Amino acid sequence: MRPEVALPVLLPLLSGAISLLFWRSRPMQRFMAVAGNVALLIVSLWLFVSTLSDGYVTMQMGSWPAPFGITLIADLLSAVMVLMTAIIGLAMGIYSLATTGRGHEKFGYYPLMHLLLAGVTGAFLTGDIFNLYVWFEVMLVASFALLILGGERAQMEGAIKYVTLNLLASVIFLTAVGLLYGMVGTLNMADIALRMDEAEHTGMVEVLAVMFMVAFGIKAAAFPLFFWLPASYHTPPVAVSALFAGLLTKVGVYAMFRVFTLIFDQTMGYLQDIMLWGAVFTMVTGVLGAAAQYEFRRILSFHIVSQIGYMILGLALYTPLAIAGGVFAIVHNMVVKTNLFLISGITHRLQGTYQLKKMGGLYRERPWLAIAFFISAFSLAGVPPLSGFFAKFVIVRAGLEVEAYVATGIALAVGLMTLYSMVKIWNEIFWKSLPEDNLVPETATPTGDDGRLLKPSLWMMYLPVMVLALSSLLIGVFAEPIMWVMTGIGDQLLEPRGYIEAVLGASASAEDVLLDSAVATDEEPKADAGEELP
Amino acid sequence: MTLLWIALLPLLGVLVPALTAQRGRSFCSLATAVLPATALVMTLLNVPALLDGEQLRFSVTWMPELALDLAFRLDGLSLLFNLLILGIGLLIILYAHYYLAKDEPFGRFYAFLMLFMASMVGISMSDNLILLWLFWELTSLSSFLLIGYWSYRSDARKGARMALTVTGAGGLALLAGLLLLGDMAGSFNMGDVLASGDVILADPRYPLMLGLVLLGAFTKSAQFPFHFWLPHAMAAPTPVSAYLHSATMVKAGIFLMARLHPAIAGSELWSVVVSLVGIVTMLYGAWFALMKTDLKGILAFSTVSHLGLITVLLGIGSPMAILAALFHILNHATFKAALFMSAGIIDHETGTRELKQLGGLKKAMPVTALLTTLAAAAMAGVPLFNGFLSKEMFFTESLATPVLGGVSWLLPALATLGGILSVAYSLRLVHAVFFKPAREEPPKTPHEPPHLMRLPVEILVVLCVVVGLFPAFMATGLLELASEAVIGSPLDFHLAIWHGVNLPLIMSLLAFVVGIALYWRHGNVRRFTQQFAGIDARRVFERILISIGYRSEQLIAALEGNSLQRYVGWLWLAALVMGGIGLVQITDLTGAAGNQPLDGILILGAVMLMFGGVATAATHRYRLISLLMLSVVGLFVALTFARFSAPDLALTQLSVEVVTMILLMLALFFLPQKTPRESSPLRNVRDMLLAGTLGLVIASLNYAVMTRDTLSISSFFVENSKPGGGGYNVVNVILVDFRGFDTLGEITVLAIAGLAIFKLLNRLRLFMPHSDGEGRVWSPDRYPAVLTSISMTLLPLALLVSAFIFLRGHNQPGGGFIAGLITAVALILLYMARGVAWAQERLDFPFQPVAVIGVAVATLTGLGSWLFGHPFLTSAFGYFSLPLIGTFELATALLFDLGVYLAVVGATLMILANLGKVTTAHRPVTETSGKDTDAAAATSSAKEPR
Repeated sequence: MRPEVALPVLLPLLSGAISLLFWRSRPMQRFMAVAGNVALLIVSLWLFVSTLSDGYVTMQMGSWPAPFGITLIADLLSAVMVLMTAIIGLAMGIYSLATTGRGHEKFGYYPLMHLLLAGVTGAFLTGDIFNLYVWFEVMLVASFALLILGGERAQMEGAIKYVTLNLLASVIFLTAVGLLYGMVGTLNMADIALRMDEAEHTGMVEVLAVMFMVAFGIKAAAFPLFFWLPASYHTPPVAVSALFAGLLTKVGVYAMFRVFTLIFDQTMGYLQDIMLWGAVFTMVTGVLGAAAQYEFRRILSFHIVSQIGYMILGLALYTPLAIAGGVFAIVHNMVVKTNLFLISGITHRLQGTYQLKKMGGLYRERPWLAIAFFISAFSLAGVPPLSGFFAKFVIVRAGLEVEAYVATGIALAVGLMTLYSMVKIWNEIFWKSLPEDNLVPETATPTGDDGRLLKPSLWMMYLPVMVLALSSLLIGVFAEPIMWVMTGIGDQLLEPRGYIEAVLGASASAEDVLLDSAVATDEEPKADAGEELP
Repeated sequence: MTLLWIALLPLLGVLVPALTAQRGRSFCSLATAVLPATALVMTLLNVPALLDGEQLRFSVTWMPELALDLAFRLDGLSLLFNLLILGIGLLIILYAHYYLAKDEPFGRFYAFLMLFMASMVGISMSDNLILLWLFWELTSLSSFLLIGYWSYRSDARKGARMALTVTGAGGLALLAGLLLLGDMAGSFNMGDVLASGDVILADPRYPLMLGLVLLGAFTKSAQFPFHFWLPHAMAAPTPVSAYLHSATMVKAGIFLMARLHPAIAGSELWSVVVSLVGIVTMLYGAWFALMKTDLKGILAFSTVSHLGLITVLLGIGSPMAILAALFHILNHATFKAALFMSAGIIDHETGTRELKQLGGLKKAMPVTALLTTLAAAAMAGVPLFNGFLSKEMFFTESLATPVLGGVSWLLPALATLGGILSVAYSLRLVHAVFFKPAREEPPKTPHEPPHLMRLPVEILVVLCVVVGLFPAFMATGLLELASEAVIGSPLDFHLAIWHGVNLPLIMSLLAFVVGIALYWRHGNVRRFTQQFAGIDARRVFERILISIGYRSEQLIAALEGNSLQRYVGWLWLAALVMGGIGLVQITDLTGAAGNQPLDGILILGAVMLMFGGVATAATHRYRLISLLMLSVVGLFVALTFARFSAPDLALTQLSVEVVTMILLMLALFFLPQKTPRESSPLRNVRDMLLAGTLGLVIASLNYAVMTRDTLSISSFFVENSKPGGGGYNVVNVILVDFRGFDTLGEITVLAIAGLAIFKLLNRLRLFMPHSDGEGRVWSPDRYPAVLTSISMTLLPLALLVSAFIFLRGHNQPGGGFIAGLITAVALILLYMARGVAWAQERLDFPFQPVAVIGVAVATLTGLGSWLFGHPFLTSAFGYFSLPLIGTFELATALLFDLGVYLAVVGATLMILANLGKVTTAHRPVTETSGKDTDAAAATSSAKEPR
């Protein structure tokens, strides 16, 4: 038994339940916000080490053998994603202590955060396509609850758009799962992959693949399905924005990586073009959307979309190197994008606004914050030697290798636009002097309204920001071992046999593991079908 | 190993000023200078080895997957650049020590400067294409920080942004170019690349690669038409400008062209493009240098011009041209650094850089005047100065080159024109500042600067003169090494001042005569050119960016329009188009299994389902009716389940239907009964088309799937339900055992949904509608007696039934989910019959813990199996016998099911109770206080952060 593969799901679930049971106890909830996430980080590290040494870690839920019960499986990709989730979760747990208002705390902010994390890790670890849907739902409803927690008008409006479009995505996803089950008669992804090789390719597979692509494309905020994101992400409290920015879209991207390397690997030829151009348009529209914005979080939101394009481009190029680059982009983006949102929270606390035009002067006042932003922002733009550079570099390299010149060229140009966007923020918030008309809120000084709380709370906001900025730097400097892991992921994903054998046992590669009797009957209908067709 | 240290020391030097800034400026400046000085000495120590013809290389692998090695080389070219970068860098540190104002953060300045220096040294020494690019980008980044050093100034910010954008764009092109280059050469190692020039020239991708690489080099070295960022980078403090324009940044592009010369230069394309761009840049820069009135502006454009000159030489590409290019790099760096520092001194001591306000300074600053005059003479190419030598060589080469074929005479002619302009603007610079009487008073009374501030200028000017006088002695060794590195073989040459009377000398003389004349009449020229409207490059640049922003805003608005309807439309359209492509590929929709026989009941059911669906949409403006139509759909779905022998699903569907309908009705109570017509007929048609097509697509897909036989895992469930799961009811065993993990997730969803609704309703303040849609007043009898009594009777009965359903669930239709819904229905009835107030008194506990306890119970049941070393959720069951009752079964699954039951009851009632409370006095106790704080927070949140 390998508990480390189930614990990353169960621990946040339990943390959530415990926090909920202590509904009225603020200290307990705040304690759990840190302790629960520390525990999650520990088991995630455990899982990561296990996958590094063994390649795959599995657990069959309820001891039912593989295609029948639900399998939890961690390969390197899952383990890395879970680890990143745990890191983001902990950063967020600490940051939230300082930024979450009493009103939010009273209505279950912390438990919802835990449950959201459970949904995310569940999606990363499950090896069952319907179970994936379930964790998507957990994630969706938890994120919806977090969005509306403030109850302000803008939040409601954003939340309605968010939930409508995501529910539609769920509908498409569920329909696709149903059809897939109808086609291959199984839900275990490894088993589906096996049966897909045998299935007749009459266009049904393509349609299903497209349905999954649309469903995950909505979740991932890919073009032209991304509208919900910039409409909603800037509305909730900043910690929630950061959590969403770091995790949610990445789950959609992860699902794409999983499904299109494992199940629809044969179909990629047809879908590759759609995906490639989808990725390109995602990059471009995202970055263009950001160009016109002057609200800190809205700029960042559009850049989430743009960055998703890079990740999907990595998948669409479909070489081991490209996939490694795509995953690198995910990892890098989780760190950096979260951090940029967190920084926007600090600047908001310091200057009372998200409007760039009204901010300024932080370069001189808060040099450390400036450094953290500089690292994160330029990393996002892909400037060496920061984390974003290597992500972009690997993808560009892979793109040139397969001679996808246009897409690669656009990816580079988008990098430039990103740089420009980040410089815009930098110039406005950090370099420019504070405009006269911005009365910096009293809370910025320790004598202010909530001044008693301010000093320690600002420290709690700074800590995760600094750690994340440092990680972006370190990911860049120590890109080599990380690239080694990423290459391992690329190999694992494009060689799914290992995954299938880990789930179904070594014999799976030879023959289907369905019941022996069933295997016997398997031949007959096919033969019949051949004869009956006129 | 020393190579690594040469590259690393300046990089480490970034930390020094950061660490020593606290200890005063003098200490900090000194400490900062230590590491680059060491690196310089180490570079010099390597010279003997270099002269012996040793290959100085250092390499460790860094990221083998990416062909990125930490590889450095020191050859003649690197040596030349290292000396310039480190040597002038040290002088700049000394100069900046005096230049920066007292209160300016010098630590930061030095740190950026060191970063800049380190990245330039890195470029010069990189032995790996990608490493070179890494340092290349670092120069863009560090120059951005340096140019924007006076960040409170708008021009500094904008200049920095422009420099970064332009050089960054070039950098990205360069990245693509270098990747292609490495790909063509089969290696990213510099040595391999330089050795495979033939392969590279023969590659079909050569033009693309060359274009990209040159784009990088031209943007960095401010070649026309990418020159425009350089003058705006003048917003930087003068030490930065001096460094940027002499030894670093702009020289990086030149360096790149020289470095890659053996690999990429041997083509017609290269010669034509590079020399043409160079000559245009040279003339353009020189012309504007003559027109500018800002001291630094003049120098900036003259830099552009001289870079163009070097580029022309690299384009010509003959060995002697390369030599001339390298020589001019050296000369330009010395005199331009000196001139910039002089300009900085003048600015520093007079408070202005405008020519109008300057004049006659030779009295106040005689030494500076002398130094500046000498440096300017070098720039103009006066004999006996270093500039003269390389300019003569340039003229010679321009005469000798066949690059332009039939119009080859053009090149020397244009070169002479460049020489004329260069003489004119050099003369103007010196004369206007020092000799001509001032027209206006400068802001400060000028006087000589501190001697040490002048020292760097003195050193550089001495160099200019000494090299000019003894070129063979001073420069031959260095140039031999450098040219060998670029050309690949030793070059036999002799530097001399006097070559006899020849054409180049005549060209020089011509340049002087006409140049002096031009300056003498340059007032007329200025008046003539002032008729043309000037183009402010920055303004154009910003306008382009603004229009990009504006256009994209329009584009996004056109796409989304902030309208949910449009979002959904896009979504379905995308799904439809993408799916449709696949659908047309399906050869035969009907599968092998064929159709099921139809009977009347099936047809009726199908018709009713369709009717319900269509009617729901059609009556959507009448909410109650629409809701009723929706319930028709639900009911028929339940019947369908029953018809196809799924009693469990039918039961579940029915109870879900009841609960949702009641809750929806309760919600409708607060809404208007009718909604206004919102969509135009055209939109209706569009939506109907979209929805109809989608429905058809989904139906076709379902049909295709269902008419095919598949081998399903479901037979396993049927067979193993009893022996493995201990229950006859397969559906329930699937829910609580086979796929209990799904159920765990779903009850979590339910619990969270309850929480969300609790939160949503908690803030709501709704008025009770006085009447219904038709204006009928609600009945005053809110709790009819019949309903009250029936509900009272029903409650225990319903609870009993739900207990029964729950317990038998494992073997017969039923289970925790259905039982939970039944309990909920019974309680809902009670709430409706007796009102929230009444029910609240009797059920006085919060419901959210109930749901949570449900989730916790389910999770813990699953975890329990770990105690016995089994995977999560492994169930166990056994048969026990008690006297009187007989044998019965106990399964851990029952416990899990209890969790499900609690979650369902808790979540449903959480919704219900809160919906009920909206209109009554029974709002949560914390409500009023919460409202006050919330309101306070809302008003203050406009100003304050949360």
